[in-house]
Amino acid sequence: MDTLALLADGFAIALTPQNLFLAVMGCFLGTLMGALPGLGPANGVAILIPIAFSLGLGPVASLILLVSVYYGAMYGGRISSILLNIPGDEPAMMTCLDGYPMAQQGKAGEALSLSGVASFVGAFFATCGLVILAPQLVKVALLFGPAEYFVLFTVAFATLGGISSTNQAKSAFAAALGLGIAMIGSDSQTGSQRFTFDHIHLYDGIDFLIAIVGLFALSEVFIFLEHHRGGAVGSAKATKVGRIMPDFAMIKRCIPSMARGTGLGFFSGVLPGAGASLGSFLAYSLEKQTVDRDGKTFGKGDPRGVAAPEAGNNAASGGALVPMLALGVPGSGTTAVLLAVLLQLNITPGPLLFQKNPDVVWGLIASLFIANFILLAMNIPLVGIFTRVLMVPTRILMPIVAMISFVGIYSITGSSFDVMLMVGFGIMGWVLRKLDVSLVPVILGILLGNQMEVNLRRAMTISDGDWLILVGSPLAIILWGVAITGFVLPMLMGRRMKKRMEAARNEEEFVGD
Amino acid sequence: MGGHIMFAKFARIGAVAVTATLATVTASTAQDFQPENPQCIAPSNPGGGWDFICRTTARYLFDLGVIEDSMQVTNMSGGGGGVAFAHVSKERNEDNNLIVAASMSTSARIAQGIYEGAVQDDVHFLATFGAEYGAIAVRADSEFETLTQMMDAILADPRSVGIAGGSSVGSFDHIKPMLVAREAGLDDVTKMKYVSFDGGGEAMTGLLSGSVEALSGDFSEMLGFLESGDIRIIGIMAPERLESFPDIPTAREQGYDVVGANWRGLYMPAGASDEAKEFWSNAIQTMAEDPGFQATLEEAAIAPFNNFGDDMHDFVAGSIADIEKLSREIGIIE
Amino acid sequence: MSDRIFGGFGLALAIFYIWAASIIKDSFMVDVVGPRAFPYIVGTIIALCSLYFILRPDDEPEWPHMREFTEIVFAAAVMFAYCFALPELGFVISTIFATAYLTWRLGTAPLWSFVVGLGTSVGIYVVFHLILGLALAEGPLGF
Repeated sequence: MDTLALLADGFAIALTPQNLFLAVMGCFLGTLMGALPGLGPANGVAILIPIAFSLGLGPVASLILLVSVYYGAMYGGRISSILLNIPGDEPAMMTCLDGYPMAQQGKAGEALSLSGVASFVGAFFATCGLVILAPQLVKVALLFGPAEYFVLFTVAFATLGGISSTNQAKSAFAAALGLGIAMIGSDSQTGSQRFTFDHIHLYDGIDFLIAIVGLFALSEVFIFLEHHRGGAVGSAKATKVGRIMPDFAMIKRCIPSMARGTGLGFFSGVLPGAGASLGSFLAYSLEKQTVDRDGKTFGKGDPRGVAAPEAGNNAASGGALVPMLALGVPGSGTTAVLLAVLLQLNITPGPLLFQKNPDVVWGLIASLFIANFILLAMNIPLVGIFTRVLMVPTRILMPIVAMISFVGIYSITGSSFDVMLMVGFGIMGWVLRKLDVSLVPVILGILLGNQMEVNLRRAMTISDGDWLILVGSPLAIILWGVAITGFVLPMLMGRRMKKRMEAARNEEEFVGD
Repeated sequence: MGGHIMFAKFARIGAVAVTATLATVTASTAQDFQPENPQCIAPSNPGGGWDFICRTTARYLFDLGVIEDSMQVTNMSGGGGGVAFAHVSKERNEDNNLIVAASMSTSARIAQGIYEGAVQDDVHFLATFGAEYGAIAVRADSEFETLTQMMDAILADPRSVGIAGGSSVGSFDHIKPMLVAREAGLDDVTKMKYVSFDGGGEAMTGLLSGSVEALSGDFSEMLGFLESGDIRIIGIMAPERLESFPDIPTAREQGYDVVGANWRGLYMPAGASDEAKEFWSNAIQTMAEDPGFQATLEEAAIAPFNNFGDDMHDFVAGSIADIEKLSREIGIIE
Repeated sequence: MSDRIFGGFGLALAIFYIWAASIIKDSFMVDVVGPRAFPYIVGTIIALCSLYFILRPDDEPEWPHMREFTEIVFAAAVMFAYCFALPELGFVISTIFATAYLTWRLGTAPLWSFVVGLGTSVGIYVVFHLILGLALAEGPLGF
């Protein structure tokens, strides 16, 4: 009850006309920046920091603006995933897999509004979780030592097999490629340079944004160039938008998926270092293994494949606030930026934050709830406008997308080397797609590679080289169980599916894809 | 012993610097230079000591009206600050609108040659404005009540105590416990178990989660967790007990004569114009003299410690020479 | 065949990667695992997968014809040129030409392509630079 009273105080702080206006502005700008490839929530918040300070906003008002941008960007990332097959930010990567096929089937409107609802569910319950469970969750996060983190990342890679039903060796290759790219730069443990060849731009490694924008957005441009040259298809093919509201039956069918996605995403968010990408990834891959073991519908426009990762990624963004507020440890790139904001406002997150600055904490939580409702209210009607994007002929849309990608990267890194690197990734992405190599594992490798390695090395330092530390706690053993199940299941299922497919082929003498 | 020298230099140069400051502050006029879109690079992720320097400086310079445009803080982590150092010295050598957070770690890494052939004069060291002492902490329920108990355990088996720190092997966080162990009589201090984390915050979770037994870091990073009762500080590397925290024992009173002070300051590109260098030096002086800023430092458990101009150059040179000597003695560099 | 070439390429990459890992310099103290172990594992996985591609290639993908292929090469070249032009010509001018080229090659009439290029360039400049305050490349004309 005490919590509720504090929360009510928070709402009283957040619900002034000025703060409401800031929340609406933040949600809108955040959605926009989330939707633009190259600009994600972390940059979105970082970009608006100077604006918040030059407007002379107080701590609570600045925070309201910035968390609205944060949640807005998490919502917005899905829009370009669904409409263009280009993730607006890295956690939205998984939404491409089923969102884009839905759009191609003329269900863009439904995919957008369904994912909007899923985002709301994920973010709403995660915020509730933040209110009720924050102190307990910190204890859960502290159960994870380096060994447990290593096993957790292993789970992510082990379940990769379930993502694409094609050649498993190619998935493994893609993951290794991503891990290999992640190794570039200074080794955080010893400071040694690895694979940098004395090139200063590589000292800090390759930013995953460069990789994701190159691999997804630019390769998409190349694919269009290849197929749509001459504009014959480009202008004629105006994609059908379909109905705006998903029918209730579809949402109802997706409720269990959203629930599972929310749980997994929130959990991943709470663990510092795992973050939203892992949340949406696990939500998708485990959802697929739960409801679509034979790989019949996922990847071909299954609404559940949109609902689960969207709920997951937005739940993770709520969960990531737990370690940030209670321990001062950011769980993702965006919370790192938010942490910086708090520090600049002279508020030090940590175990005493809830006692020392209750107005800030509860004002922040209240504004999360408000942002969430604004976003839901804003996103459903906006679906109609977003889908207009598809009315723009591809021959004009694609170059614009390419240029926005360039601008996004250049304005963040300020170096043309990074932009060139992005073109390189674009070419690589095109070749890999041609060869039917899935791009998701590459990104996952880049995102998680360093964390995975560093935690393994920390664990081994702690144990003095005794590998048994990796199975040294009940938690680690449970996680290994999940990893092994996730690795073996799709293999067995894949074999079963192949047999079935062959049988079907023989019966119907049907050839084609 | 090494620490002793370090502190003596701190105190002496500090005193000289303050008098010099007072003499010149009225004479300085660099009104002809006003930075446009100024930027402060924090060579670490948000939340660390360097980040604090940039955020605080950005806020006070703008609030005090020293700069007209608000200052953008950019985090450029990597290579223990080496990425930012190389970026500034190689790519933005003539940028008048750029300042970079620096600390003891910066001079330590220059001394150890970690910044690939970098020397002090590759950049222009502007000023220091504060310093704080290193400390060693354990969990509140730890078996170690004193630093002596911990050192006894390390002497018996150097691998039995894992010590977390916020930066890589050989960094100042790592050197501090090695110095204490050397004082305690450990022959090969490189045998000790040091676990490197990404920043002080992560190192703290390493300690709290029980992955390691102790934490070596700066006092200010531990303050919140000390007050909440999660950790116990068993030794602070100050010459004597802190006034505001009289219960925390020093390393020295437990028989380990080690003083480890971490200064906080800023550098800028060496090729910037003289007007710009003077402007920024004056700007930081103005900030250092502001009562509000001093209160912020005190809140963060950082003591005022001012060096400007030529004093700053000599101070950094002295600091680099000290660390080089120490690193050689410990065996970090040959 | 494509998969076999791909496998060969992957094998070469793996060998190069493992070689590059072997020349990583050690610092004075190395943890138990060290900075080279993980790259070796990664290199080995790449090599094993590549061998698999060589031995059991998938069906041949549909490669573009020479004309489409040239298109892609040229588009990539224009993008690289754009990177070089950014610091020299500034954002607005470089972007007009790069966008116009891509729009033209995707089948818009040359004049209209130029208009689209101009619109895109100015539009992005207004939104990103003037409204959001992001730093874009400055050319000799200041934009």
